[in-house]
Amino acid sequence: MTERSSAVCLDGLTKRYGTRVAVDALTVDIPGGVVAGFIGPNGAGKTTTMAMLLGLVRPSAGTATVLGEPIDRPDRYLGRVGALVEGPALWPALTGVENLRVLARLGRHDAGRIPAVLELVGLADRQGDRFAEYSLGMKQRLGIAAALLGDPALLVLDEPTNGLDPVGMTEMRELIGRIAAEGRTVLVSSHLLSELEQVADWLLIIDGGRLVYADHASRFAQRTSPQIVLGAVGHGELLRLARLVTEHGFEVGRQDGQLVVTAHGADPGSTAASLNQAAASAGIVLSELHVLRPTLESSYLNLLQGADR
Amino acid sequence: MIASYRAELVKLGRRRVLLATALITVLFAVGGAAVVLSAAGPAAEAGPGRTPTVEALSAAGGGTATFRFAAAFAGTFLFVVFVGMTAAEFSRGTIRTSLLRQPRRVRLLAGRLAAILTFAAVTLAAAEALTWVAARALAPGNAVAVDAWASTSGLTAALADLGAVLLWVTGYAVLGTTLGVLLRSVPVALAVGIAWAGPFEHLVQDAWEPASRVFPGLLLEAFVAGGTPDVTATRALVTVALYTAVAALVGATVFARRDITT
Repeated sequence: MTERSSAVCLDGLTKRYGTRVAVDALTVDIPGGVVAGFIGPNGAGKTTTMAMLLGLVRPSAGTATVLGEPIDRPDRYLGRVGALVEGPALWPALTGVENLRVLARLGRHDAGRIPAVLELVGLADRQGDRFAEYSLGMKQRLGIAAALLGDPALLVLDEPTNGLDPVGMTEMRELIGRIAAEGRTVLVSSHLLSELEQVADWLLIIDGGRLVYADHASRFAQRTSPQIVLGAVGHGELLRLARLVTEHGFEVGRQDGQLVVTAHGADPGSTAASLNQAAASAGIVLSELHVLRPTLESSYLNLLQGADR
Repeated sequence: MIASYRAELVKLGRRRVLLATALITVLFAVGGAAVVLSAAGPAAEAGPGRTPTVEALSAAGGGTATFRFAAAFAGTFLFVVFVGMTAAEFSRGTIRTSLLRQPRRVRLLAGRLAAILTFAAVTLAAAEALTWVAARALAPGNAVAVDAWASTSGLTAALADLGAVLLWVTGYAVLGTTLGVLLRSVPVALAVGIAWAGPFEHLVQDAWEPASRVFPGLLLEAFVAGGTPDVTATRALVTVALYTAVAALVGATVFARRDITT
């Protein structure tokens, strides 16, 4: 992948509330044109970082630029940034389209884009309903429509799937995919790593306000080795199988009555095939054999537990 | 500021808001005229205070003085409305949404306030005209002469009364907005606003004579009533202008510097 110029650059960005450090000297560049997944446990500092990038919260130390402009001058770049932070906050008595009209005027955006963004988020037929009457999913989608009003180069979405049902989550994922396909940079935080895994091509992971990982999502997945799961019928057969796997030079672990072999550096498919052949030669009938490839969630949990540090 | 002003007008210009405002304006005009006229008595029987006299209401500006006296009753309500409206923007998080579109904070606040005051000016002009009509109809039943009302002097007095009420509204708007910005929570802001503008100032006034010349709510009441035995309208206006300037400075500074978190 060709690296493009940075959409967001953080240089020692720090936020302290009294003695508590919410964001601790974050230094990272987020390339333009990517969907960057922003991951971290609750209280890791994701929302505070986003709020600083959007000019809502003043940093205690450090600097940052957004679309090449310093964050102490949000008036220079917010016109090219769309954001949904801490949930969709719009005027409950106003209809969907009235809310967008207010924001279009406030941001000096082309109100002619309102029908298009409502169509994009699937609210064209409910635009005349009051915001207070919307479901949570519809509110989230209207919040994203509001973020898209200015045809932004950068979209910042904080937990856009919060409170959504599975259908709503799928719709949101597809929506983010459509937005990203238009060439925009998207910075999106979420606890639902399985959802994020399908849209993010770049990852920014923080824990306790500190940077843990910042790079391509594909490289992150490569940090964790795939595993091969083997099963045999009966305890005795499982013990024989464990000895056999060990004799072939693999470390073996147990999980839920099955053997788990980590394929460090080896091709997991070939390893599974050779273990299958060895078991058959030894007269062991396998009841289970499959390759467990690392997910974003498993890799992330490994990372947080220090396994990959 | 212009963008913020125009955005606020979208909210205020909705049909539902206009209909509700029209209804309240008519009720205020008719009710206010009825209350003020029925409360008016002959000057010879009037004690010290702000109650209008029949003679005063029979003068050229009597028709719109009725409006001015009626407005004075709504001071606490008006203050609480401005406090609540501003605090709600923080409680609901809409101030955050607005700042993402207009990051120049003071301009956002100033534009919003200017739009509300523009809306208030139009509404008050309509209310004044309606109050004049209602008072004109009710005056004969209250021994108030209306012959001088429809005159050049009456028109001049009407403009002066409208200006005075607008200044009065502006004072409440700035003070209420500042309190909303400082407290940010709707229940807390309303509790403080109601307690201050309602019982607190008036109770202290009963026990401490200088209160009438010190407290902003009492000064605003005195100004819109054309002065009281304790404080002239001019002195009330100057003192309130000073309070309003300080409040605007404090509110704008706090709003410009504080982190926006919910």
